[in-house]
Amino acid sequence: MEKIMIITGSRKGIGRFLAEYYLEKGITVIGCSRSESDLQHKNYEHHCLDVADEKAVQKLVRNTAKKFGKIDYLINNAGIASMNHSFLTPLSIVEKMFKTNVFGTFLFTRECGKVMSKKKFGRIVNMTTFAVPFKLEGEAVYAASKAAITVMAEALAREYAGFGITVNTVAPPAVQTDLIAHVKKDKMDKLLQRQAIHRFGEAKDVANTIDFFLRDESTMVTGQTVYLGGV
Amino acid sequence: MNKEEALQIVIDAVKEYIDDDSTTINKETILLGNNAVVDSIGLVNLIVDIEGALSEKDLEITLTSEDAMSRRKSPFRSVETLSDYIVELAN
Repeated sequence: MEKIMIITGSRKGIGRFLAEYYLEKGITVIGCSRSESDLQHKNYEHHCLDVADEKAVQKLVRNTAKKFGKIDYLINNAGIASMNHSFLTPLSIVEKMFKTNVFGTFLFTRECGKVMSKKKFGRIVNMTTFAVPFKLEGEAVYAASKAAITVMAEALAREYAGFGITVNTVAPPAVQTDLIAHVKKDKMDKLLQRQAIHRFGEAKDVANTIDFFLRDESTMVTGQTVYLGGV
Repeated sequence: MNKEEALQIVIDAVKEYIDDDSTTINKETILLGNNAVVDSIGLVNLIVDIEGALSEKDLEITLTSEDAMSRRKSPFRSVETLSDYIVELAN
């Protein structure tokens, strides 16, 4: 049976990889980001929106539900990072990060959860970061926003359990994407040494974990956070 | 949307949700608190169902607004108060 997936932040990085990966598996993917995507596929739709815009999120989710009759999977991938000492971090950046990372995740989860509850089936996967358990200096706000996502997922796992919806979180290992493009090499090397596995991961490592969360058989897997690379 | 249309949507949604022909559903039916025909999770489900039914009529309304939650008298008390609230939001 046709499966329907929403991926936020699907224009580039891990989100783009996941969109292509799940399209390859025959899943219909509805992607979104703030700007246009050049991803062309018969089973891919792209929408331009701000994930923190409540009305836009409602419209996208409701239209998807109307068109396909259901939403099976949600990957809350959209996220922004800003790495700087707190003394040098303006409130506007804090607000921006919480809006995209926390509010966006909440809005998509709430709206997709409503749709999934009708079918008594749903898989929601969020993205967090190893900056949470490592409590990295310079990433206080980013880590705090991702910690919020992790705890929210744990609570929502309980709220949604009765609806057949699981909510899990994956923390990619250090993956070479735009998010860390401006982090100095010696800092990244130090970070890698803190992981159990001292090397960069790849987007496929994230997909492998998400596959496990999405499986029909993973009905008992909820409220979990997997830190890839080992923390 | 007028009151009659809103009432019909709410009554249909409650009937479908509780799925019990022996219970009469009308505008006086209580949805919240003592004597409610649904429990708290049932009310959550009902709100989702009603938002879905409104969406089918191209009315993209969120019933759980900050305004609704902060009112001294909840708009979710009964079929009639909820219908009134829908009319208020829709218009």
